[in-house]
Amino acid sequence: MSGPRSFVARRLLLGVAQTVAVVLLVFALTEALPGDAAVALAGDQPDPARIAAIREAMKLDRPAWERLADWTAGLLHGDLGTSLVSGRPVSLYLADAFGPTLLLASLTVLLLVPAGFGLGVLAARHAGRPVDRLISSVTLAVYAVPEFALGVLLVTVFALRLGWLPPTAVGYGTDLAAHPAALVLPVLVLLSRPVCSLVRLVRAGMIDALASPYVAQARRYGVSGARIRYTHALPNALAPAAQQLARTVDWLLCGVVVVEALFVIPGLGTVLLGAVAERDVPVVQGLAVVFGVVTVVLNLGADLVAHRLAPRAGVAA
Amino acid sequence: MSRLRTGRFALGVTVVAVPLLLALLGPVFAGGPGPRATSFTLGGGHWLGTDFVGRDVWRQVLHGGRPVVLTALAATALAYLVALPVGLVSALTRHRRLEDLLMRPLDVLLAVPSLLLILLAATVFEPDAVGLALLVALAQVPDAARLVRAAAAEAAARPAVEALRMQGETWWRIAVGYVGRSMLRTLAADAGTRLTGVLYLVATAAFLGVGVAPDAADWAVMVDRNRTGLFVQPWAVVVPAVLIVALTTGTNLLFDAALDKGGRRTGKEARP
Amino acid sequence: MNHEHTVAEIRDLRVRVDGRLIVDGVNLRVPPGRVTALIGASGSGKTTTGLALLGEYPAGAEVTGEVRVEGGGPVGYVPQHPAAALNPARRVSALLTDIARARVRHLPVRRRRLAARERVLEAMSEAQLPSAAELLRRYPHQLSGGQQQRVVLAQALLLGARVVVADEPTTGQDALTKSRIVEQLTAVRARGIAVVLLSHDLDVVRALADEVVVLRAGRVVESGPAQRLLLAPQHAWTRELLSVEPELPLAEAPTTEQPVLRIRALTARHRDGSRAATVVLRTPELDLFPGQSLAVVGRSGSGKTTLARCVAGLHRDHDGEVLLDGAPLPRSLRDRDRGQLAAVQYVFQDAHAAFDEHRPVVHQVARTAVRLRGTDEDTALREALTTLAGLGLPEELARRHPGRLSGGELQRAALARALLARPRVLVCDEITSGLDPVTRRGILDVLTGLVRGRDGLSLVLITHDLDTASLAHRIAVLDAGELVEQGPAPQILTTPAHPVTASLVARTRAGGTTA
Repeated sequence: MSGPRSFVARRLLLGVAQTVAVVLLVFALTEALPGDAAVALAGDQPDPARIAAIREAMKLDRPAWERLADWTAGLLHGDLGTSLVSGRPVSLYLADAFGPTLLLASLTVLLLVPAGFGLGVLAARHAGRPVDRLISSVTLAVYAVPEFALGVLLVTVFALRLGWLPPTAVGYGTDLAAHPAALVLPVLVLLSRPVCSLVRLVRAGMIDALASPYVAQARRYGVSGARIRYTHALPNALAPAAQQLARTVDWLLCGVVVVEALFVIPGLGTVLLGAVAERDVPVVQGLAVVFGVVTVVLNLGADLVAHRLAPRAGVAA
Repeated sequence: MSRLRTGRFALGVTVVAVPLLLALLGPVFAGGPGPRATSFTLGGGHWLGTDFVGRDVWRQVLHGGRPVVLTALAATALAYLVALPVGLVSALTRHRRLEDLLMRPLDVLLAVPSLLLILLAATVFEPDAVGLALLVALAQVPDAARLVRAAAAEAAARPAVEALRMQGETWWRIAVGYVGRSMLRTLAADAGTRLTGVLYLVATAAFLGVGVAPDAADWAVMVDRNRTGLFVQPWAVVVPAVLIVALTTGTNLLFDAALDKGGRRTGKEARP
Repeated sequence: MNHEHTVAEIRDLRVRVDGRLIVDGVNLRVPPGRVTALIGASGSGKTTTGLALLGEYPAGAEVTGEVRVEGGGPVGYVPQHPAAALNPARRVSALLTDIARARVRHLPVRRRRLAARERVLEAMSEAQLPSAAELLRRYPHQLSGGQQQRVVLAQALLLGARVVVADEPTTGQDALTKSRIVEQLTAVRARGIAVVLLSHDLDVVRALADEVVVLRAGRVVESGPAQRLLLAPQHAWTRELLSVEPELPLAEAPTTEQPVLRIRALTARHRDGSRAATVVLRTPELDLFPGQSLAVVGRSGSGKTTLARCVAGLHRDHDGEVLLDGAPLPRSLRDRDRGQLAAVQYVFQDAHAAFDEHRPVVHQVARTAVRLRGTDEDTALREALTTLAGLGLPEELARRHPGRLSGGELQRAALARALLARPRVLVCDEITSGLDPVTRRGILDVLTGLVRGRDGLSLVLITHDLDTASLAHRIAVLDAGELVEQGPAPQILTTPAHPVTASLVARTRAGGTTA
């Protein structure tokens, strides 16, 4: 077997390859535009001046590899290009919208871990009984629901019928932290899918571990129930859960875009959707690189953590 | 245990039946478009009121399920159409190069979040329903191919395969007759979760305006476009949203119950 | 015996699962400082009886009778695979301290930690675990098999158990590991602890047992002191169980002919990922004559299975030649033609894994004749049924799916599958390991019958067990990938030349079987 170090090396290499792939894929976007890119991007207002401006801004008259080299060099310096629509640097868009998105994402992750593990352990502890059946069914059901559908239904009930919470974040600007009430529904919606999957994994891992021969041995030898649950069974459920947390990054990204659109939060998702609608290619590219690289890095981290945590069976030579 | 399972199966069927029947048969009963009325009204001959451009919400609901369901089914089928041969060949080939050639690019693609891929493509292509199905399928291929490969490699590593080769069986008979047969359960389980995931992606993309016309009769588009009138005319949003919830939840419950053997999985026992 | 002191006792135990009696009125007395062995074929109820001492029963079992352990005290348990009983996510220190903690409850809180640590170190030295401090930091997967076994023993010692149940501790282990386990259990016995040994490994029973209880179909057929019972069994079943060795040796084999199979300058490698290959086997020269059987013996990891797989075309990564009737065989199965495939057939260790669980056994067996000899389906099916019946598998069993046959029955079917090719060389890879003695003897009888009965069929027996090897005409000994010795079986068994062979023979003798 190859040792742990070679796993880390191979995983790091894959991470680098993935980063390069993301950059290339995002760059290929302009190349994929049908016909004259500048004309295609000018869209509804194809006046010659605008076309010329776009051609100039994106340096479309130069060969692709030169533009790729320029663009990547810019990326390394934190220069993500300039918007076609407003002429502002993309990094300014990022700086403005970063706060709300980070707040949403970190709140979600902060609540995700305790909620996921807590409910998972609770369900496993009462496996087969009503509590477990309730948790299992609800997580199975909610797991599959798209955020926007869940979101509008929650808004209808809590904002419209009951009037407890604001329906959107309109009017709060980017300083959402000052208005916690506006954050309750978005975070709840954002949490729904990852929590469900985490709960199911923790539950399954715990139940597997509790049925294992080593737990049987610990019970036999009089180790207490709580100790068996938290120090014997739970660590064996950690590795698959850590792996799942990595997959969650993908979902969080999807979720952030949808939730920001739904609750009108001025974050990165909203900027991305706006740029997509206006075909503002440099902004889309800049954001896509940021999202892509963040995903790659977080996935990499989670994989390494999962690898470290993974209990290994077998015998040393 | 088995009564419990039957119960869950029945629940799944019940939950999924309403949206599925509406999606498949709705357009047959929808009838012609009536005259447009005022936006966001309740009553006035409209059972569920009118939508943002004054169309009958009930009629939109009848029409709006089919695109979601068909696009999702097509995308799932397409994803397997690519993933199955790629996964099988890379698991069963003895040429490491071929395996690398097939799987490495997919490993790299796996890093790109599905929705990001779809949004990137939407910036450039303005895809229609077919384009959306292709995109969603593309986003699913890396993961599906990896799963197929893992399941096939597991089956192909069993002594049974060597015994078959010892008997002089052909590659095809081993690949399809044994490895393929052994993978069926895993594939069926994966198809269930994948279909749910694809439904999620298709609906979410439509909600964000990808792959659909802005005034399309589509449950996800209805939720998006009628949100502005939520306070005046909630039915135009709540009904399609509930239908989407029922569709995705029901599919998931159904597959989960259908594939649960009734017994628990045994723990991963350490091998000597 | 009745007046002797006992630390545990079972009275009239009956265990019924799904209406079937697994244990039917068993009585058992366990004296301290003695090894009480429960022996019997698979399904005789010995494991259920042993676990009853721990207060554990199969799911859904109806239990009557009485199980009493002195002072209600804890009972230790040494499972077949120690790795399975050690939590992979906990370090050795945690695994041991968990148990020690319960034993220091009477002390004031602040002294508990130190006292627990002392007890852990003490138990480790008693279980012969060296360099304790360093070992404590490791996870189970970082220990060798022997160390894992000793950690499990240390757990039982920490528990202060007066009774230890050892469940098939030596099954599937090579001679060296076996003798180490015997030593450890002897040390446990010397501490005055009662050992209840559940085993179908008669070597270990002979080496360890003070009392023997013979079980059959959930009932005690015979019990008594080991000496008396093993030397002069009263009951017919006990005699059958104990007479493992079929009569030696095989008929003299003709060696005047040309060898059917010749191995020349074979070097086999294993590749791990993309890293450099490691050589796992070097065999300069090995011949197999028609009508002869050759046993390849060695410890686990000695390369004997790799040798067999090279011959069968299942291990491509090797240099050198495997010659069939003087013509080189292609390295990979894929490049062998039908005649070459048919000539060299292979029977796998794990019969369950070697069959397709979705098709009836007889259909899978018949395919050999269809593919390798071009017979039509009907003829092949008839031939398969005849061959299976000849090997002791009636049609009713042969038409079942593999999941509904026992390991011994499936191994017979696997032999039939290979024989339908009418092979010149049959390679059997540890096909009896893990079977109980009665089943194993059945399979070995079939094998000896094959070599005697078939004209010119040659057998390659891969085994870690010298008893099985002694059935062969010739024996080749592998150690760490090198062929260290080969020769006629009687010569190897009586005057081993290489130290590795000598130690294998000595250990087998110590087990007391090669009488």
